[in-house]
Amino acid sequence: MVVGDPKIARLLEHPALWRGRSAATRAGLPSGFAALDEHLPDKGWPRTGLIEILVSRFGSGELTVLMPALAALTAAAAARWCVWVAPPLVPFAPALASRGVVLDRIAVVGGARHPLDHPTKSRSPLQMTFSALQEARFRGDPGMWAFEQALGSGVCDAVLGWVRQPKPRDIRRLQLAAERGRTLGVLFRPRRAARESSAAMLRLSVEPLSAGMRLTILKGRTARRDALDLPWPGR
Amino acid sequence: MRPHLIRTAARTAKLPSLSIPADVPLRSVRRAALRGATATELWVGAHLQKFDAPQGLEQLAIRAQRFTPRVSLAPPDGLLLEVAGSLHLFGGVTGLQREIIEECQRLQARPLLAFAPTPLAALTAARAGQPLIITDLTQLVSQLAPLPLSALRWPEETRVRLARAGVRTIGAVLRLPRAGFARRFGAAQLAMLDALTGRTPDVRAAFKAPVHFRRRHELDCELSDHGQLLASLAPLFDALGAFLTTHQCAVVELDCRFEHRQAPPTRCVLTLASPCTDGRQLAALFAERLNALQLPEPVRTCELRADQLTPQLPSSRGLWQPGEQGGEAGEESGGLIDRLRARLGPDAVHGLALRAEHRPENAWAATQPPALRSRHAVASRATHAMEEAALPARPLWILPSPQPLAAQDGLPRHRGALQLMSEPERIETGWWDGGEIARDYYTALDAQGVRLWVFRERTEPHRWFLHGVFG
Repeated sequence: MVVGDPKIARLLEHPALWRGRSAATRAGLPSGFAALDEHLPDKGWPRTGLIEILVSRFGSGELTVLMPALAALTAAAAARWCVWVAPPLVPFAPALASRGVVLDRIAVVGGARHPLDHPTKSRSPLQMTFSALQEARFRGDPGMWAFEQALGSGVCDAVLGWVRQPKPRDIRRLQLAAERGRTLGVLFRPRRAARESSAAMLRLSVEPLSAGMRLTILKGRTARRDALDLPWPGR
Repeated sequence: MRPHLIRTAARTAKLPSLSIPADVPLRSVRRAALRGATATELWVGAHLQKFDAPQGLEQLAIRAQRFTPRVSLAPPDGLLLEVAGSLHLFGGVTGLQREIIEECQRLQARPLLAFAPTPLAALTAARAGQPLIITDLTQLVSQLAPLPLSALRWPEETRVRLARAGVRTIGAVLRLPRAGFARRFGAAQLAMLDALTGRTPDVRAAFKAPVHFRRRHELDCELSDHGQLLASLAPLFDALGAFLTTHQCAVVELDCRFEHRQAPPTRCVLTLASPCTDGRQLAALFAERLNALQLPEPVRTCELRADQLTPQLPSSRGLWQPGEQGGEAGEESGGLIDRLRARLGPDAVHGLALRAEHRPENAWAATQPPALRSRHAVASRATHAMEEAALPARPLWILPSPQPLAAQDGLPRHRGALQLMSEPERIETGWWDGGEIARDYYTALDAQGVRLWVFRERTEPHRWFLHGVFG
């Protein structure tokens, strides 16, 4: 192929033509922390796909690290929704608002006020149709089902999920749903899940420090595996 | 009298524009028609004594539609029927009068009827307690003249002023100079007098009975399988979709009843976040709802009901998909909420809102999932959020209710000793609703370095509580 050929150059300008090089420089979502942006593969959070945040303890700073990105997403002119699936405690609206998150764009599914119980049903597997059987595993965990629905619906910019013990197959489904809906999915899991394999495109762990938090990228299209210490956003 | 009436009926037939239940856009057409043909209408005004239930009036209007398609409500206690075309069928004025009164009495209403060529004249005569029968427009003014002014239900102040001027009857007020009357008592009252005498047409909105959808389906055999049940409901949903399209309506609530051999009927109610017009989408949502339903016995009959319909015109869709090229998330987002609610329960999805309150428990509220607002509204909310930034640091997570903490040497413990990081922030009072508090809030660091929001009660015994996690 002659690179200087004007015909090819014109062809390459066509917007429908996807080139491998452009994938490498996809614009990420600025995380709001300059040091973290340097560490992340696309100079920011991915805009589409599933990421996993592994924490040793709930409240290690895993939400704080996402806050500037969520604020930017919800305050955008053509913002879609930001759905929180089964959060373990109540998201505190004044704190979210003070960090610039637009509350109008937030929907909470389940959570501390209405825990997602297992639906009461006593149908035997023999009575179910094939598609019902396929979905039955998801049906056991309404949080997982809601997470996949929100990710794949295409009406959310970001979906945060706290799901109990997802299987590797479930995570693959979530990743596919996120790509289908062009949504950023964030799955919060305990630190011990780092041993399991995962289809998420980015995995990082967050540990609390006395004056901040330590982030380590466990998986991602980047060579940087060293820990990054972020100070607690000061106020 | 009879030949005259027959002639008017024939004229009505020649002028189809007159029999259309006219709304505002037809006014000019009707005015032109009225100029040519006077007194082609005959109105019955029914005054219902001691009757002020709006529901009852609508029920009565539905029943009165068997006399004529042109029925109008005159709340709170009046009903108007245009009967020129129906006189012959019901045996003239007397026959019609008898039948209408019988119909009203079935609903425990005691009507007083009057017949006149204009609706307002008929209603006024009925309200004055005079069962007049005026079929000729030329006699209208002379017949109305002795009626008291109170029947027009003008404002008390106008009536008192007219009475002071010695004007107590409709005849007297009609003799007043028009320009002076309009200046002193308002153009609205003059317009009412013109409508009363037929000088200007009085266009009444025709009453339309509320539409609802009800369809039953007897099953060929008793079914207990949800999948088969859903398949047998499919024709009902198809019919519902077609019904909604032809009536240009949308449903907000769908009620399905399953009847069994012995057990009482099972109800399955689907409530939607946004009005829905698509039968197939409704069927899909209903499938989710049905999955969570437990049937006591096999089903013999199902009945689908949509009683609350809202008028809905199909709106044009955006060129871009949501999220693409700046396209906004449209009404499709209501579909996600509906799907989540249908499976997880109506309370499972909520939005967040701020409340102007200093107590942390009350500073937020769970709302309905947010309806998508315009860009302008979002921008204004964003500036609002900036104002909130003046608050001291708040945790991202709050516990549904404060959790008591153990204490040692006056310091709180939570999986080890807590280290207090900040100056106390005092939050106090709430006497107006009984939720009185007196607390000193601190940011605390636990042994692993997790930031917690704890408080110490200012009253004895100075207990410590965990109230939030900075996350």
